[in-house]
Amino acid sequence: MAQASEEPEEEDTEPEEEDEDEEGEDDFDDEFGDPAEQEIFDPLSGYNRGMTSFNDGFYTYVLDPTARGYRWVVPEGGRRAVGRFFKNLLFPVRFVNNALQAKFKNTGEETGRFVINSTIGLFGLFDPAKSWFGLEEHPEDFGQTLGAYGVGGGFHIVLPLLGPSNLRDSVSLYPDFLADPTNSKFVVRKENGDHALYGDSELAPVGAKAVEVVNYTSLHIGEYDNLKKDAVDLYPFLRDVYEQNRNQKIAE
Amino acid sequence: MRNPILTAILGLFLLFGFVPFGQADEAAEITKMTKEKVNNIITYLRDTSLEKETRNKQIIAEVNTIFDFKLMAQLSLGKQWKKTKKRQRKEFVKVFVKRIQQSYLEKLDLYTDEEVIIGDAKQTKKKRAVLTTYLVSADDDKKEMIYKFRKHKKRGWLVYDVNILGVSFIQTYRSQFAGVLKTKTMDELIEDLKNSEKS
Repeated sequence: MAQASEEPEEEDTEPEEEDEDEEGEDDFDDEFGDPAEQEIFDPLSGYNRGMTSFNDGFYTYVLDPTARGYRWVVPEGGRRAVGRFFKNLLFPVRFVNNALQAKFKNTGEETGRFVINSTIGLFGLFDPAKSWFGLEEHPEDFGQTLGAYGVGGGFHIVLPLLGPSNLRDSVSLYPDFLADPTNSKFVVRKENGDHALYGDSELAPVGAKAVEVVNYTSLHIGEYDNLKKDAVDLYPFLRDVYEQNRNQKIAE
Repeated sequence: MRNPILTAILGLFLLFGFVPFGQADEAAEITKMTKEKVNNIITYLRDTSLEKETRNKQIIAEVNTIFDFKLMAQLSLGKQWKKTKKRQRKEFVKVFVKRIQQSYLEKLDLYTDEEVIIGDAKQTKKKRAVLTTYLVSADDDKKEMIYKFRKHKKRGWLVYDVNILGVSFIQTYRSQFAGVLKTKTMDELIEDLKNSEKS
């Protein structure tokens, strides 16, 4: 702290400029609003804080080192292909949610992408749909679908391992989970008619998810640590970033 | 009309009169300026002969001409700004600017030949403009980054906020500082910022 005050004072503020800024500030109030008035309803804040530090620790001490090791072993081209493979598998989630939001052009494009990439693109390892046919991805999930119909986020919930979420998006995980083939492939019907998740191959979908997550992380090493640098207080920071980002996605 | 190129440009605008001349001109100026700055910064990043410290200094010098860091500091405090003493303001601006410049440089360290696509700036108000850019990463992730500009009386168009994937830099700091200041004093906040800078 002493080091800052040792530096020579520079000509920081001219009084003239000060005036303009005062005027400028009022100008900005409608853009950013008054944080004091935007009091967030956060009944789980105690638990959320705890879970945030748990997740943060998990990322730093488990996921990040694992992803770095994986990055060292698997070349980037391979990791990108694996990433595309998993993305392609999640087509049903995007298809359903684009359709539910009546984004029919996107639904069509997604279908085209799935057909092309699953065949010419070798099970989704490559993306000729984008590079040759110019078909773009349109990621949508059920939380966004609900949001598009005016359902608010509700209070914030930090999920174990999955990270920041809110009431709406947490509930929405279930329909998306059902549409995700890496999960539903392993739902088997028991003799008494109940559905048992994973059945005999209990670890297969967990393993698939783990590879997907590690692979994704390996392509984004350092980004979380970097993001964290802007946090004065980690939990409210991540909460804010999450909610702002979701609102933007829903608005699109 | 001494300058023939200028005359030609003016002529074109008059010909295609669907854009208000002044606005399109200013917006084009912003786009041009940002492209130039981004290109300069990428050149510095790719120049492996530069020592990191010199490189960072050059980048900051480049960035300083296009960012209004002081306004960013002020906006991040919101209403509190008016309540703070002059000495505190000065100190706060100093630590805050240092912090965000550092954070910016560290973000650039992650840069690995991503493609930067710069769209066309749009003037939203007389003194405001936005410019949408995209950063295309290794796994074809397209990150949207919106630069928000304000026209400064003397310095012209300057960035006062950056929106990355819908997350406003200023908004995020604003609610964090508001949260901290509920339980702590301004001096304590400044102290906290100074301390975190060292770690």
